[in-house]
Amino acid sequence: MKMKNFLVGLAFSVFAASSLASSGLTGRPAPDFALKSTSGDNLRLSEHRGDVVMVNFWATWCGPCRQEMPLLDELYSRYQRVGFSLLGVNIDDNSSKAMNMISELGVSFPVLFDNRKEVSKLYNVDAMPVTVIIDREGTVRYVHQGYKPGYEEMYLDQIRSLLRE
Amino acid sequence: MTKRLLINLVVSMVLALGTTSIAQEATPVAAETESRNEFRSLDEDVQDLKKQVLDLNRDLFLLEEELLFPANSQVAFFISLDVGEYFDLDSINLKIDGKEVANYLYTEREVGALARGGVHRVHMANLKTGDHELIAVFTGKGPHTRDYRRGATVSFNKGIGAKYMELEITDRVKKQQPEFEIKEWE
Repeated sequence: MKMKNFLVGLAFSVFAASSLASSGLTGRPAPDFALKSTSGDNLRLSEHRGDVVMVNFWATWCGPCRQEMPLLDELYSRYQRVGFSLLGVNIDDNSSKAMNMISELGVSFPVLFDNRKEVSKLYNVDAMPVTVIIDREGTVRYVHQGYKPGYEEMYLDQIRSLLRE
Repeated sequence: MTKRLLINLVVSMVLALGTTSIAQEATPVAAETESRNEFRSLDEDVQDLKKQVLDLNRDLFLLEEELLFPANSQVAFFISLDVGEYFDLDSINLKIDGKEVANYLYTEREVGALARGGVHRVHMANLKTGDHELIAVFTGKGPHTRDYRRGATVSFNKGIGAKYMELEITDRVKKQQPEFEIKEWE
């Protein structure tokens, strides 16, 4: 019984620690990075200063990522013209798998390749997907770990409130 | 006499009433001016405080750099681009004594800035005095938009005092090729 309680407590603390890992960035300047994109150009996060930016970390082996990406694409299409940018960051070792998934899902937002996992380490990504929302000043305002149906409504509210600021 | 006294009393009362009313009218005006002055001085205080905070932030940043990279062991590497017609820079990778120390991807905007005369400090480090080896690998698009990857190696001696090295990409018109030079600043 004691062992069971100990194990439950340990599992809970590990979960809590991991969920705190990325959320520790909230309120801090978003770490800057540059990665190669699907178009072949290098894109740098700080060059989007002035826009509300969503950075979405994903992988081809992640089921919830597949569900989430088309919904993010809708957000991007809708709000891009009013100062919203969306950068997808793929962390697969093999970029070709990611390219296949992108064309399969038909997403239009820029996708960057973090094969060396340097950017995902910067953002303490230890779950999939992770969605970071950054305000116009370059400060991390919201961090979401994982995806469940309905999260997109939360993203919508947060993006709209930041666009209004 | 009494009459005169009475008249004097009435006149003085009237005068007293008049000054009181003027004073009462003046009081709200004075109070408003005072609050405006107070607000202005508060605003000035806030602005002063903001300036002090910004100055302090700047001083702390400089101090941090001096502490992390003291002048006697500091080495800094800069990238510059002269024209850049034969080479479209994509990234640069630096190794010092066989160890990778920097890997920087350049965006279109950054390359544009370099082409207009900008100089980018790509890496700063602390090195012991003595001989060291720098290997710089430039990746980009070369003539005829072909993928181009070129390395440049230089051995340098780190003495006492800060050292600055420039990695310059220039166009060699005769050969229609880019040239990569590593120079030490005096």
